[in-house]
Amino acid sequence: MTLDPTAPAAAALRTGQHVPPDEAASGSSSGTAQVRLRARRRRLLIYAAQAATFVVIFGGWQLFTSLKIVDPFFFGQPSGIVRTLWNWVQHGTAYGSVWSQIWVTMEEALLGFVFGVAGGVVFGILLGQVHFLADVLGPYIKAVNALPRIVLGSIFLIFLGLGMTSKVVLAAVLVFFVVFFNAFQGVREVDKNFIANARILGASRLQVVRNVVIPSALTWIIASLHVAFGFAVIGAIVGEFLGAQKGLGLIISTAQNNFDADGVFAAMLIIGVIALTAEWLIGLMERRLLAWRPQVQTEAQGI
Amino acid sequence: MASTFTGRRRAVHKPRDAAQIELRGVSKRFVTPSGTLFTALRDIDLAIDPGKFCAVVGPTGCGKSTTLTMVAGLDRPSEGTVRVADSQVNGIARGTSFMFQTDALLPWKTVIANVAMGPLFRGVPRKTALTDAREWLRVVGLAGFENHHPHQLSGGMRKRVSLAAALINEPSILLMDEPFGALDVQTRAIMSNELLTLWDQTRPSVLFVTHDLEEAIALADRVVVMTAGPGTVKAVYDIDLPRPRGAVQEIRFDKRFLELHHEIWASLRDEVERAYLRTTTAQGGERP
Repeated sequence: MTLDPTAPAAAALRTGQHVPPDEAASGSSSGTAQVRLRARRRRLLIYAAQAATFVVIFGGWQLFTSLKIVDPFFFGQPSGIVRTLWNWVQHGTAYGSVWSQIWVTMEEALLGFVFGVAGGVVFGILLGQVHFLADVLGPYIKAVNALPRIVLGSIFLIFLGLGMTSKVVLAAVLVFFVVFFNAFQGVREVDKNFIANARILGASRLQVVRNVVIPSALTWIIASLHVAFGFAVIGAIVGEFLGAQKGLGLIISTAQNNFDADGVFAAMLIIGVIALTAEWLIGLMERRLLAWRPQVQTEAQGI
Repeated sequence: MASTFTGRRRAVHKPRDAAQIELRGVSKRFVTPSGTLFTALRDIDLAIDPGKFCAVVGPTGCGKSTTLTMVAGLDRPSEGTVRVADSQVNGIARGTSFMFQTDALLPWKTVIANVAMGPLFRGVPRKTALTDAREWLRVVGLAGFENHHPHQLSGGMRKRVSLAAALINEPSILLMDEPFGALDVQTRAIMSNELLTLWDQTRPSVLFVTHDLEEAIALADRVVVMTAGPGTVKAVYDIDLPRPRGAVQEIRFDKRFLELHHEIWASLRDEVERAYLRTTTAQGGERP
């Protein structure tokens, strides 16, 4: 947020709540220090518990598979996964360097994400605004949405071949519906007073859309992006599963065919890292674009 | 925050000439979701002279707000005509400003961007619009809050922003739909005082809807009492309290104020009771 720190209420603004300007400056410093200390201690405790959880899960996995209580051939083994990953980095996979596999999948997912989001936002806003179009196209959209869209992957593979295009299209379709429904809902939920007010102030229809409808729907749209990127990755991977010459999905399906559980887990780990990175980036963008929102601390934000 | 506008420099903008508002034989009917026809307003005749402050009081649901939306051009009457400045209202017209009961400030825009919105929509260059907006924020006592977002302000401060946003367009008529209804009593009194001061400087014709009779008498030149739905004009009272009236908190004890209050309340009370009775019987599943 770009706030003027010299403004009288600035102290209150950092916490996001409203405090009358003359009260903002008060507050004893020793009390603040104590609160801060307690918060710090709590944070450390959480980190420790998180580390312990990690150790229990992966240590337990390693232990049980080493003791042959659980068969490492079927269930893999953390050390085996690390070895596989190291092997990929050093010697590459069966289809070339691991980096090029990651890049192919990323490229498919990103392109699908971009096209899907663009299409979803444009159609969502258009249909949200033009009720006639929404009424005409509504049943078709619902019908397509009811399909398990993964099966579209097979169609796209036939249409577009084994190359990258079929994966990009599948990812884009998956992303489109998530974003479309949110954008549509976001447009429909715009406060009618905001629109009436803008119109009375002299806004044209386009100005209403630009100044009121889109910013208002943006909260919904951005919320959908978190899920949407997940779908983009799913689209890319499943597309590669169905038939590809490169990519992480291909590696997984090959590993599966070879009963190489460690290989599947290793590829999963890579995908997980990618997804978390993307999630983090989207979170950054969200905070930037929605900086105007009052900061409400919710439990869900922590998760 | 308890300051009034007295003593501050006059607003730099000369208002557009105030316009007359005239409703003649206006009725408004809606089709309810269950398919029945509902008459919200019936045969309203009402005229507000240029530069006058007219308050409309009536029980909840008597169509006060509907009247305002038709004058604003947001809605059309089923019958009759609404005229502003001698021309029939046919959609939203320049020169009309509206203050809503709920906040209509855009939460994603800063305070100054909210105020500058009107001029920007009307094609005023960005720099001029921002300069004007800054000036108006100073006039309503919010200098220094330009870059705050609405949620960072108190209810009263947000109302000031709304007022600045409404007045920056130099309206010839100002429509207010219970603008201070959501405020606590003290803040409300302060805002009423400030509204009077600003109105006195800019002098648009005001149509002010409220259900608070004291507020209506303290502010207006004329108080219109509406009947319980279907709403129609029951009586019109001219308020002859001299202006400037000073603080609304004090004029309430004025002898003439009490007389007027007594007289108008006698008329309003019947309608309020009738509306109340109707809501309680309607809950029993009966339609009047």
